Amino acid sequence: MSATTLHTEIGASDEKQAAAKNASRRLGTIVVRLGAIAAFAAIMLYFVVFAPGFTSTFNLINVVEQSAILGVLAYGMTMVIIGGGSDVTEGGIDLSIAANMGLCAAVYATLLSMGYGDFLAVLAALAVGMAIGALNALAVVGLGILPLLATLAVLNVAAGMELTLTQNTVVGATSPLLAFLVSGSFLGISALAWALVLVSAIMIAIVHYTSFGLRLFAVGGHPEAARAAGINVPFYISFTYVLSGFCAAVASILTVSRLSASTPGSGELLLSVLAAALLGTVFSRRFVPTIGGTLLSVLFIGLLANGFQLLNVSSYWVNGVQGALILLVVAVTSFARGSEASR
Amino acid sequence: MSKSAKGIVKGLALGLALACSLVSVSGAVAEELSLKGKRIGVSAIGTDHYWDLMAFRGIQDRVKELGGEVIALDAGRKDQQQIAQLQTLIAQKPDAIIEQLGNLEVLNPWLQKIRDAGIPLFTVDTATPHAINNTTSNNYNIGAEIALQMVADMGGKGNVLVFNGFYSVPVCKIRYDQLKYVLASFPEVKIVEPELRDVIPNTVQSAYSNITDMLTKSPEKGSIGAVWACWDVPQIGATQAVEAAGRMEVKTYGIDGSPEVIKMVMDQKSAAGAVAAQQPYEIGQTSVDNVAKHLAGQKVPPFTFVPAVLINKENAAETGKPFLAAAEKAGVK
Repeated sequence: MSATTLHTEIGASDEKQAAAKNASRRLGTIVVRLGAIAAFAAIMLYFVVFAPGFTSTFNLINVVEQSAILGVLAYGMTMVIIGGGSDVTEGGIDLSIAANMGLCAAVYATLLSMGYGDFLAVLAALAVGMAIGALNALAVVGLGILPLLATLAVLNVAAGMELTLTQNTVVGATSPLLAFLVSGSFLGISALAWALVLVSAIMIAIVHYTSFGLRLFAVGGHPEAARAAGINVPFYISFTYVLSGFCAAVASILTVSRLSASTPGSGELLLSVLAAALLGTVFSRRFVPTIGGTLLSVLFIGLLANGFQLLNVSSYWVNGVQGALILLVVAVTSFARGSEASR
Repeated sequence: MSKSAKGIVKGLALGLALACSLVSVSGAVAEELSLKGKRIGVSAIGTDHYWDLMAFRGIQDRVKELGGEVIALDAGRKDQQQIAQLQTLIAQKPDAIIEQLGNLEVLNPWLQKIRDAGIPLFTVDTATPHAINNTTSNNYNIGAEIALQMVADMGGKGNVLVFNGFYSVPVCKIRYDQLKYVLASFPEVKIVEPELRDVIPNTVQSAYSNITDMLTKSPEKGSIGAVWACWDVPQIGATQAVEAAGRMEVKTYGIDGSPEVIKMVMDQKSAAGAVAAQQPYEIGQTSVDNVAKHLAGQKVPPFTFVPAVLINKENAAETGKPFLAAAEKAGVK
């Protein structure tokens, strides 16, 4: 036997082994993914059967309403993760999004309380939100800082600016737009719930039905390939951060309407936003973030808190369960990515 | 039977009758106060502070004692979460809702919705026109007493550092307004502007650094006479800061009576001047009694005051003890 044949034989057996390993791993991934979805379904089924009033239309609309703010924020986060890639440590992430919402809410409420109209106040909130987004883009794309660190720093900038502006106080606000968001309804569904429906539809259209969305997935999935295909990668990534800031501003207006004020402590929402965007990936076959997946997980998180309350289970459990789910999903996705990498 | 013996018998009979009637009255009250088969929703903005936790526990324990079912909701200091919890609670249609503290500006539209849904609303330490009854301490009294104690300790003149971060919380508004009212009569006591902002969370650390900064800014002894806060958690940080800076001429004043602060006031070497100690557990329980009375068709006043005690350097050894004993019993240090 010559050395070359020996070499090819070893190579072939290696490949066979790798293929077998891959196949079992892929199977494992499917099992884990379906397991996660089955767990979601089981929890929901349990609520349907045992939580009194869970399935009433009134209650379900309540949950959609309660999910609107989280949903809009989670879409921003989802876009950043799509564009930056879903690697948890090095991929796209916007830790500043909740603090940015707090800042935008403070700007919006402060301007309203100073007597400026909705038009100017909304414009200012959007401008501030997008400016913070642009700051993220500058740090990540321009300076090449790891998104995890860059947006963590910007989180502090935004939170500090909010504190400076409000002195950590509650700033009450009233306006025609806020009154409409609070009490307006159409077909028995409140304006806030409609806001979630509308934003979801727009986001799904942009991300999943335009060539822009397709290119964005290409940028996140394989930046070198995207660059080779002539896509302006830095522009796309920057865009996601600015859009995330825009989402923060939209969410801030919804928040002010719901709380009739801007209040300190918006940063607390970050964990839920991250949970929603990460959980959403289990609803896609390739574990990529999708708008539909994020919407489902936002509603799931809302239903979780709601179901627990209806069952009279302590609200302290909700945070714990949320944390456990994040851990599960991150484990599942890294497992899945392992199989893709070794392919 | 002699006249005096007759008198004694008569007196005894009368006493017995009175005792019987008293027993029967209290028996009737005990009988009437029942929440059997009732579901009571309880919503608290947070329970991270001693006062909040004790009141929240008092409510839950009393509902259970009276045979009711309690839906207990702690929003963990998140307005967003409290609103969501209240919204779901309204859909659950409990027999009554007790709301404990929070930002009135945020809460009021939702408290209105509770009333619109026909659910009797009771509040703890939260004055709002939407509640049938607000059970609380007499904050007008407390506010004036602590302010007067401070003025007395200062000898009627000097500068005060004031924490005023929670004016939107009704009880803080009352206490602060009372402070201002008292100070109006003592023009030589001045509040240092701008006022300080107490925060949640990190209240103690933040108060510590605020006071340290202010003392550094006014280094001459006597330039600052006192520190005031509408609750006592900032007082902890302030007291530590004063002691660390060695400025023992500055005394601190606060309200609530957390065990830690009571111990500070008891300690003659501590800079804690006085604290108005409330009975949060009893406040929670009394609120539930009011719910039970209302559901039994009895008339309930718009507010119920549970007594509070001013603990100062002179009386602390005596007055502080029962409060510390209660805290120990509850397992809170």
